[in-house]
Amino acid sequence: MKDFYNLIRKEMKELMTRQFILSLVAMVVIYGMLGRFVGRIREEQETKPITVTIMDLDQTYASRDFIDRMNQREEVEMEVIEQGSREEALQKTQERAEKALLIMPPGFGEKIEERKAAELEAYSIIKGMSMTAFTGRSIMGVVNSLSRQMSLDFIQDIAPDRNANDLVYPLRAKEFVVVKGKAAPGSLGIIEGFAMSQSVLIPVILMMAIMYSGMMVIGSMGMEKENKTLETLLTLPVKRSSIVVGKMAGAAIVALIMAGVYMIGFTYYMSALTPETSGAGMTALKELGLMMTPVGYLLLGASLFLAILTALSLAMILGLFVQDSRSAQSMAMPIVLLVIFPFLVLLFKDLQSLPLALKVILYLIPFSHPTIAAKALIFHDYLPVIGGMAYMALFAAVAMYICVRIFNTDKILTARFSFRKRKRGI
Amino acid sequence: MDKAIEVSNLIKDYGNLRAIKEISFQVDKGEIFGLIGPNGAGKTTALRIISTLLQVTSGSVKIFGYDLTKQPDKVRECISYLPEEAGAYKNLSGQDYLEFMAEFYSENSQEKKSVVKRGVEIAQLADRIKDKVNTYSKGMTRKLLLARALMINPRLAILDEPTSGLDVINSQAIRRLIKSFAKNGTTVLLSSHNMLEVEFLCDRISLIAEGLIIETGSPPKLKEKYQVQNIEEVFMEVVK
Repeated sequence: MKDFYNLIRKEMKELMTRQFILSLVAMVVIYGMLGRFVGRIREEQETKPITVTIMDLDQTYASRDFIDRMNQREEVEMEVIEQGSREEALQKTQERAEKALLIMPPGFGEKIEERKAAELEAYSIIKGMSMTAFTGRSIMGVVNSLSRQMSLDFIQDIAPDRNANDLVYPLRAKEFVVVKGKAAPGSLGIIEGFAMSQSVLIPVILMMAIMYSGMMVIGSMGMEKENKTLETLLTLPVKRSSIVVGKMAGAAIVALIMAGVYMIGFTYYMSALTPETSGAGMTALKELGLMMTPVGYLLLGASLFLAILTALSLAMILGLFVQDSRSAQSMAMPIVLLVIFPFLVLLFKDLQSLPLALKVILYLIPFSHPTIAAKALIFHDYLPVIGGMAYMALFAAVAMYICVRIFNTDKILTARFSFRKRKRGI
Repeated sequence: MDKAIEVSNLIKDYGNLRAIKEISFQVDKGEIFGLIGPNGAGKTTALRIISTLLQVTSGSVKIFGYDLTKQPDKVRECISYLPEEAGAYKNLSGQDYLEFMAEFYSENSQEKKSVVKRGVEIAQLADRIKDKVNTYSKGMTRKLLLARALMINPRLAILDEPTSGLDVINSQAIRRLIKSFAKNGTTVLLSSHNMLEVEFLCDRISLIAEGLIIETGSPPKLKEKYQVQNIEEVFMEVVK
């Protein structure tokens, strides 16, 4: 065991360079700053009033009433102009950096008085192509809201003894959602938000941990060959299996530190981007049985551990063909592809809804199973999780056996992976 | 049993290429034995086989009586190998590197300390021993690697071009060091292009060319046999 710990320590010292630690710190800082920045923008978008220029070319009682109604709204900040051309109004709006221009043409008041639909012209000023340019309050949202309010007032005038709301909205549905036979009051939006966090956030974290582990091991083998330290290492009085497992464990610890830091940063960033599930939403999720239990978290952790072990064993085999750090990067590609492919497929479709051939392919790729587990555990569906774990354990055991066998031969020094004809030398 | 190394009818193939064509030699305990030959003769392949890095195609190799094929772990406990183109872990300091290596050969921390102390003395890198290996020159790295190979007082030191990359002064110091280790009981198997070095160091040598041993003997006897002044001339006579 002493030699094994010595190997792990060396591996960690080699991988955790000053540059590595600096890049980790930079990652946390960047995510932190991005999270704060995005969060502040989102908050601003949600609370900031919309700035509107209103051009009243009608100048009647009805048009002034409309302006009054607009003025009473907290979410609107407005400037009124009463003359000029459309072009001049647009120019002024843009000069004042306002978001919208609303023009009430002549005849607006007459139509309102006649209780006919009156036309308005609503111009939204687009200042950029970023996401924030299209989010927040819109002029059409304000107009529609006012339109509803005016409609209620008109009806109230016509039928003062009736509740206008009942006449405008004669149907009121109490919304329920049903998941796997369980019903609970709630909206599709709540479930959608939860599903997004489970099918994106958790798999992204899993993907990062698996990819980093694989890349670390291949990189470590590349460094051994590039620095010409492998030969000395292989002549030390240590079992080859200890060298294999020591390398894997050292790389796994470093990769988990990296994935952990990434996870903290990414979760912070995502929480700034998406609103928290409300109390009512949480109650609905609980009633639907969509909360992950402690056993679920335990199984998810075990599934992730086995996936990392599989990635490490596979990476060790691929690492045998690596000649230096540069070739290590390209040799890590198969693992990256095997991790990304199931993630992308399962992001958009449920496993059960896929064609049989694709389903079989996904089951055969060991790195599909943590993502499958993350979804299945929400529904307390343990069979596919345990089956996936057994498959990954078998896959990792076979890969490790092959790896140790190769380490016990001279293939570790003579193995080459090249599309060109192999050169021979002594 | 007085033999440190017993190589019998050793053959090594790389695919269709026969790198070593049935060689046999023996090295006594405490002896300094040199494998001498041109590039591509098979010297490094022979050393890598004896160091348990390469597998034997046919024939047998015994190190202190341990069969190389059946007991590689036992063999590794007896040897210390210095490859010709070796490097050290670049992100470790010289001291850390020696400590990492010493751990495998020490029973306790006291023993480890004395092994590392010996390593630091052999390396002669003064305060630079605490610097990272990636700041070392080629010569400094070579001295560190030699220190690593010898600090454990191995029963058999296998040194491939031990003074490669070192200047004249450092090379002489290393040769004296190898001699002193052999006097204290370490068997040394080395390869070298430097015929003067071989003549100064080795008790016996084997001349190897195209995978075959073509002559074996002590440097004085070989010079006498071929009636020449030095080993370089012996080699030229033999390969004629």
